[in-house]
Amino acid sequence: MEIFAAQLLNGLSLGSMYVLLVLGFNLMLLVAKIIQFAYPHLVVLSMYVCWGVLRHTDNMLLVVLASVASCIVVNVAIEPIFRLLAKRHGLDINVSFVVSMSMALLITDVMSHLLNYGYPIAFPTEWVGKSIFSSGLIAFSAGQAYALFGGIAAVAAFFYLLYRTRQGRVLRAISENSLLSSIIGIPIIKTRVLSYAIAGLLGGLTAVMFARLLGSASPGLGDFVGMKVVAASILAGLGNLKGGLVCGLLLGIAESMAIGYLAGSWSNAIAFMMMLVIMLIKPEGLFGIEA
Amino acid sequence: MSPVLYYFLSFTGINILMCWSLYLPYRVGQLHYLTVACMLASAYFSGFAAREWSWPFALIVVVGILIGILICLIPSFAIGDAPCFTVVIIGLTIIFILKTAVENSPALGGTIGFFGIPQVNHLLPLTYLLVVYAGAVIYRIDHSRLGRAASVVFVDKNTAAALGIDVKRLGMFFQVAAGALAGLAGTLYAFLIGGLFPEFFNLGVIGTLMCMLFAGGHTTMWGVIVSVPILEGMQLLLPSAIASWRQVIYALTLIVIVLVLPGGLVTKRMLLRLKGKVSGGISKCNN
Amino acid sequence: MKKSSMLKVEGVSVSYGPVRALENISIEVDRREIVALIGANGAGKTTLLKAILGVQKVQSGKVLFLGDDITNSSTDKVANMGLGLIPEGHLVFSTMTVLENLQLGAYHNPQDFNDNLENVFESFPVLRKRIHQTAGTLSGGEQQMLSIARTLMSKPELVMVDELSLGLAPKVVSEIFDILGDLNNKGYTILLAEQNAKKTLEFANRAYVMETGRVVLQGLTQELMSHPEVRRAYLGSNV
Ligand SMILES: Nc1ncnc2c1ncn2[C@@H]1O[C@H](COP(=O)(O)OP(=O)(O)O)[C@@H](O)[C@H]1O
Ligand SMILES: [Mg+2]
Repeated sequence: MEIFAAQLLNGLSLGSMYVLLVLGFNLMLLVAKIIQFAYPHLVVLSMYVCWGVLRHTDNMLLVVLASVASCIVVNVAIEPIFRLLAKRHGLDINVSFVVSMSMALLITDVMSHLLNYGYPIAFPTEWVGKSIFSSGLIAFSAGQAYALFGGIAAVAAFFYLLYRTRQGRVLRAISENSLLSSIIGIPIIKTRVLSYAIAGLLGGLTAVMFARLLGSASPGLGDFVGMKVVAASILAGLGNLKGGLVCGLLLGIAESMAIGYLAGSWSNAIAFMMMLVIMLIKPEGLFGIEA
Repeated sequence: MSPVLYYFLSFTGINILMCWSLYLPYRVGQLHYLTVACMLASAYFSGFAAREWSWPFALIVVVGILIGILICLIPSFAIGDAPCFTVVIIGLTIIFILKTAVENSPALGGTIGFFGIPQVNHLLPLTYLLVVYAGAVIYRIDHSRLGRAASVVFVDKNTAAALGIDVKRLGMFFQVAAGALAGLAGTLYAFLIGGLFPEFFNLGVIGTLMCMLFAGGHTTMWGVIVSVPILEGMQLLLPSAIASWRQVIYALTLIVIVLVLPGGLVTKRMLLRLKGKVSGGISKCNN
Repeated sequence: MKKSSMLKVEGVSVSYGPVRALENISIEVDRREIVALIGANGAGKTTLLKAILGVQKVQSGKVLFLGDDITNSSTDKVANMGLGLIPEGHLVFSTMTVLENLQLGAYHNPQDFNDNLENVFESFPVLRKRIHQTAGTLSGGEQQMLSIARTLMSKPELVMVDELSLGLAPKVVSEIFDILGDLNNKGYTILLAEQNAKKTLEFANRAYVMETGRVVLQGLTQELMSHPEVRRAYLGSNV
């Protein structure tokens, strides 16, 4: 029972990270009509940025700013590639996947060649933080608290932006019907760039929280997280934001339970196995495709 | 034969088979990475059967192909007509699961690798014989009713369904055919290279294959015959300092090709023009 | 005094790949006019409206709006200048509420939002009752009204309506035509593209008759209605 409670807490913190990534991924899918497979890789890149900044200063604000700025800049910088791609191929999400997968490979390989000689990086222990609460097996570290509460705040802000503001309305309009949106005078390209920037902002914040939660990162982390994030999006139904919220959390919890009850190297495989079974039974996702 | 040439020829043959096994399901618009899982499974099976059970090569080839077929057949009941991207992720997921299984099996060498696979005589010529045979079969499929139906499905599934094409059955057929090819490639890989590492079967190998397929041209089966030797050769000819960046080179090549040459090096239109020239030349001679 | 020309299309040609859809089309709409484009399905009416709005690329020719050359300008710029298109098929953002649809329509015109909303509700009282309803749950006629209202929220100089009557009951069509007539009296200039020639010719001041991408006839609607070719081909009467 204690293991269960402990892993549930773990799962919620981890899951809220997945939720943020699923939301950013789906936002670009809905508004820019691309599959940005390299999105989690960019987040890992921003974790490296955090790590680099941390070696010079321990000012939390600077770290967050650097992480967010780097993620926004890189994500927005690759937008013209996808725009050119759409010009060549039309809005074909499969082709965008081929390109973004190449970007993912590129980022991973560059990280493993150039950053920290390809070795995993470790964040300072005070960065991960001591346990702020513990009882028996249950321990809640500061890093977990940041991930959980930061994640909840970021998700709430995201949904507020999308459903309660003028820009959010425009983003939703383009995701529903981009031709009609352009006919009524909404600037499509500008709004698409905005969606990359918002995803970058979410990604930069996620990178900081993820660093505090995990305490380390490696070049291979992007592939790993990327597959889970994308699988969770498919489980939810591509483009389904509310479904993504549920599936991201469920994935985090399932993975933590597997870690809690099973031998180490199998836990990820178990998480994947569960996702696989659901995907095979419902290829269109649990909550329906909306992209 | 120099080892460099041997590896070049081996990898070229295997990669042509693997590219074809991606090419076939892409005829119906699916990126079927599951074939890499087929290759992994059949390679490990082949190595194990040869070393531990001393099975004869011919039997291993047959069972290897069957394993490839089986791995593609079972999911195909669910994903024969699934959206492309779902197929992608299911493929990646199964690769990951199989890889974890191998890494956790001491009998298969775990993360260290599986070695000591016995050699087979005249394997290289035999490999190319099998490549040519596989190519002939794919050519037949491409120019059959199935190939034409696939072209319709690629453009629009709904139109295809309206024309009475069973989109799911067709998808299943191409997926299973891809599995057979990948099973064959896996067996050949095990014997040609002689050693297996689970780390080989990662996103990188998929990126390499995608680069070869799209650079050569995904609209015909001939493109990869041009692109695979070039890209394989490049990797061997470049100085090792640059060759260690080959993942980056492949990724950049793929991005640039998709942006600049959407159809790849060899396109259908080019082949038609070539055909026109040849037959035009022949008719001129006849006059 | 010379009449002020609002929209001027000069020799515009448009192709979809190898297929020519518009061949050297010229039309003109003056301020406060109601002009109709009539022609059978596939004549090129929608293509012309899209070309004017910059949704479809123009290969040759010119589009002038209020004296400015807007040929191949970006759609959001053109819409911002005061060109409003109500597209075919009473399109609305169906997952959003009526209010949100209207807010989107006011994208370029957020000031005086409440006054505009009041004006629009005066023309379309049904929408006021449905203000928080999801647009996808409206009836076809209500969706067409919402689509028009959404365009009016941007206070366009010229309102272009594509296939106003398509798929709507005759009674609803008459009702919407009446509303458009009112709007015209209030000062709106209207360009209608319609297959339904009879109703449209009765409603408009002038019309262009299109066939396979060309303008084959043009003139005042009274004259066109008595033109034997128009009567035979579009009004369904034997002369
Ligand atoms: N997106 C398109 N791609 C190719 N051809 C098109 C497209 N849209 C319209 N067409 C062709 O252009 C011509 C004019 O179509 P359209 O402008 O829709 O006519 P209308 O609105 O008068 O019915 C038709 O022959 C139609 O087939
Ligand atoms: Mg039309």
